[in-house]
Amino acid sequence: MTTPTIAQQLASKQREISVAEFFERNRQILGFDNPQRALLTTVKEAVDNSLDATEEAGLLPEIEVEIAKDGPDRLKVAVTDNGPGILRREIPNVFARLLYGSRFHAHRQARGQQGIGISAAVLYAGLTAARPAKITSKIAEEEGAHLLELAIDIQKNAPRIVTEDVALWDRPHGTRIELILKARYIRGRQSPLEYLRGTAIVNPHARISLTEPDGTRITFERATDILPPLPRETLPHPYGLELGELGSLVRGSRRPSLIELLTKDLGGVSPRVAREVLAAAQLTPSAAPSSLDGPAQERLLSALQSATLLAPSSDCLSPIGPLLIKRGLRNVLGEVRPEFFAPPVSRPAKVRGGFPFLVEVGLVYGGGLPVDQAVQVLRFANRVPLLFQQGACAITNAIASMDWRRYGLDQKGGSGLPTGPALILVHVASTKIPFTSEAKEAIAEDPDIDREVTLALQGAARHLKAHLSRKSRRAFASEKFAIIQRILPKLAEKTSGLVGRPVPDLTPVITRIMDVVTVEPTLGTEKTGTTATLEVTNYTPRPRALELFVEGPPEELRTAQFEPAPEGSDADLGRYWWTLPKLTPSGRTRLSVRFPAGVEVDANDLDLYVAGIDEGHLLGADALPGDWEVRLPRAIVEAAEAAEAAGGTKESEEEVDYDAEETSARVADDE
Amino acid sequence: MPKRRPLESPTTSDPEEAPVRADALAPTMDLAGEIYQQLVRGEIPRMRLPLRTKQNISFQSRDGVFRLGRAMGTRSARKLDGALMLLRTFYLVDFINEMAHDRKTSTLRELYYISEGWQDAKFHSEDESNLLVEDLEVMCERLREDFRLHPEENGASVIGDLTIKERNRKGIVKKINCRDDVGDGGYSIPFNVEKEKIEFVSTGAKFVIAIECGGMVDRLAENGFDERQKAILLHLKGQPARSTRRFLRRIHEELHLPVVVFTDGDPWSFRIFASVAFGAIKTAHISQYLATPSAEFLGVTASDIENYDLPSDKLSDQDVRALQAELTDPRFATADWRSEIELMLKNGRKAEQQSLAKYGLNYVTDRYLPEKLSEMGVL
Repeated sequence: MTTPTIAQQLASKQREISVAEFFERNRQILGFDNPQRALLTTVKEAVDNSLDATEEAGLLPEIEVEIAKDGPDRLKVAVTDNGPGILRREIPNVFARLLYGSRFHAHRQARGQQGIGISAAVLYAGLTAARPAKITSKIAEEEGAHLLELAIDIQKNAPRIVTEDVALWDRPHGTRIELILKARYIRGRQSPLEYLRGTAIVNPHARISLTEPDGTRITFERATDILPPLPRETLPHPYGLELGELGSLVRGSRRPSLIELLTKDLGGVSPRVAREVLAAAQLTPSAAPSSLDGPAQERLLSALQSATLLAPSSDCLSPIGPLLIKRGLRNVLGEVRPEFFAPPVSRPAKVRGGFPFLVEVGLVYGGGLPVDQAVQVLRFANRVPLLFQQGACAITNAIASMDWRRYGLDQKGGSGLPTGPALILVHVASTKIPFTSEAKEAIAEDPDIDREVTLALQGAARHLKAHLSRKSRRAFASEKFAIIQRILPKLAEKTSGLVGRPVPDLTPVITRIMDVVTVEPTLGTEKTGTTATLEVTNYTPRPRALELFVEGPPEELRTAQFEPAPEGSDADLGRYWWTLPKLTPSGRTRLSVRFPAGVEVDANDLDLYVAGIDEGHLLGADALPGDWEVRLPRAIVEAAEAAEAAGGTKESEEEVDYDAEETSARVADDE
Repeated sequence: MPKRRPLESPTTSDPEEAPVRADALAPTMDLAGEIYQQLVRGEIPRMRLPLRTKQNISFQSRDGVFRLGRAMGTRSARKLDGALMLLRTFYLVDFINEMAHDRKTSTLRELYYISEGWQDAKFHSEDESNLLVEDLEVMCERLREDFRLHPEENGASVIGDLTIKERNRKGIVKKINCRDDVGDGGYSIPFNVEKEKIEFVSTGAKFVIAIECGGMVDRLAENGFDERQKAILLHLKGQPARSTRRFLRRIHEELHLPVVVFTDGDPWSFRIFASVAFGAIKTAHISQYLATPSAEFLGVTASDIENYDLPSDKLSDQDVRALQAELTDPRFATADWRSEIELMLKNGRKAEQQSLAKYGLNYVTDRYLPEKLSEMGVL
């Protein structure tokens, strides 16, 4: 008998490692490295699946998460949805076989893609609690529900059915998964509650409830009944194609000719461009795809990638949209009462590496948000909250590399996360998101994504800056109002009393102190609709002839009733204007814009402009921009010219302010 | 800046009544009238005040005192802070006139609490109310005592052959000799030392010696220095209160007695002397009432520490900084002071008055003071 060679000895030890075995040993890759992490990942995978399933079926998601104690270090997690249910024969593979899924091969935006998540949770439950997963699924009203207890055969990466039953279930259809696993429940950052809160913000069409181990029940009601349009599947786009992928496309193609392959199996290639590409690659349009050898494939790919193609279509993406971002934030952040919701920015779709992507940003400021901490960042990828690895994420880096001081937030040295009472939401949607790891915790650095995130952030930040400057002007105004309403009357009363004379008329003094025309919008909502009242007061020492302009969302304004009727309008642009009655010093006039019930407007939606007076004497409105091309009445033009000619009507205040900070810091007695 | 009028203090003739200076409150009414006229004319109410900043205070070598400069600031109702201070001013004026009517006085601290009832015009700190009182002093060219406002602490004490007449709180005029009619604590200087309250009758003394520490005052009194050398001992109690400085100035002015200042030998004590002689920055607007420019520094000087070989301590960093600041202080801009300060910096040593006890309890009265006083030409 000959002794086996070393190579033979080694070969006898070599055998295939099953995926399941691999993940058993490398739990951290999938986010099961510790008990609290494992709980979050389990909830996340189950909820993501439920959301995807309900949306695909065109149903408004209704998801219940229940977490209960089951022994000292174990929890029972149950997630129930109102989705379409899963066919009996698919149940074992969906829940108890890794890398089994319907979405991996589709070019479309979805939460789950690899088909690992939920099976990994089942695997983890089996490993830590040795208990099978209990699945209940019902696909139609008239059918019974299938109850299966499943485990994973780790060596084979195959499902093992432990028990099976059919039972009644008091809902028309849906799926429930129940797992017992080693886990720990926490609140706060990186907790199931935080994850569900984030999910509720970016999925305002979902109703999500959570029952915590102590019995507390938290429900995020839906903020809209409109389902997001289902993202469409799309063809692979040449810009993102790799040589190997082109190879398998060519080999597996049933198209008779190259020209058909290019125009029908790839996205963004028109017949004209296809001919140009083939000519450049020195290929015949009518040639059979299977005839292409390696070098020919390489020529074809490089010709494709240097051609000018149509951008990948973005209807395979599902943006949340500005309206729903705002509603979602408002719905979930209600209790912090933020003072400002910046109009959210939803960027048009762009392409990176052949895959379309788009970026959305929401920004909230003030209210109960902490003032002296770094801003809160809510990161989302395909509507899924990202809770870990914030520092390693392209989104965080884009925020940190912007100079927020220009937009009114504190930031040490002009980089890093800014400080202030703000919350920034960033959503990246793509058919392929470049995550830094399989656990899908952070988006990898990418110049295209970085550019889009930055542009979207800048858009939102500009609104923040405008809000803050409005606010500081309001503070200035409230100081002036405090003087004229609270201080001045008492000063007049005191001095008159001391000299024993009647209190004089204070109007001239009041207008000198204020020296502005104020435009103050107030919004009142009743059952019959919302009314915006605009009050214009002349707090300047001279009479004013003014023209007031309102600009807002054209659709909403079309439904509005104006009182009095505007002098002119451009309804397509959402612009309306009025010649105001001449206002004497302290004179005041009002006009109102009534929106019928159901029309959503808030004070930030209406931009107010005034002509006939310069910017420096306006509060609550801006001077009319030069590009409006509106013909102003002669009286207004003359008034504006007269105001300009009068120039610096503000009294010069060259003398030192006795009560200013610098001067009132009088010397302490040095002796 | 309007020309300052000399302070006049006519008293009422009726001895039964507490004294009210007839014109003391008139300027406060003028202020009210001015603001009232501005309101009638439709102008934004405002007042102009000399700035009481370090930059606007200078040493007037002509009078030898610290005075306010010409820089003015405006307190205007255009700004919230200014408007509030204007309103407070007239609550204060109202309050002062009410007190005059009721023959009451109030401490500065009481004033602060009185403002609780002034709603928006209420003071947020006692500093704020003290500063406004000083503002009013500046604007009206009156002392806060004229406004019937006074600090809590009293002036210090006097021992020596000085006879005064004091009108006490019951309106009774008492004649007091500050040596024979008082206990060991001496005569206590009240917060108001103006003419309606105190008159100097006579003195047998030849000079006043103002002393920083109580221990040294007691030493001199026990040793009978005041009688032996015909001196009035005046206790400064550290940095002297306004009334102590005013009292000293009046003795000097009305009784024509020379004043010498006897303190520890360190930079802070030099500043006590400077404020007695030339005035302090904080009270620069009333230096002409408080300062005694002819007062002379007796010691302890840096040379004394050397010449008398006194037990001494090392200068701290703060001491050194204070001495360096004094080198640029106009109050110390004489050749003598300069060389003394430089000597102290060079030696790096300071000494207390009581270090003279190294040579026995009688040394200060038998040797040190007679030597120094004859050097200065006082004895």
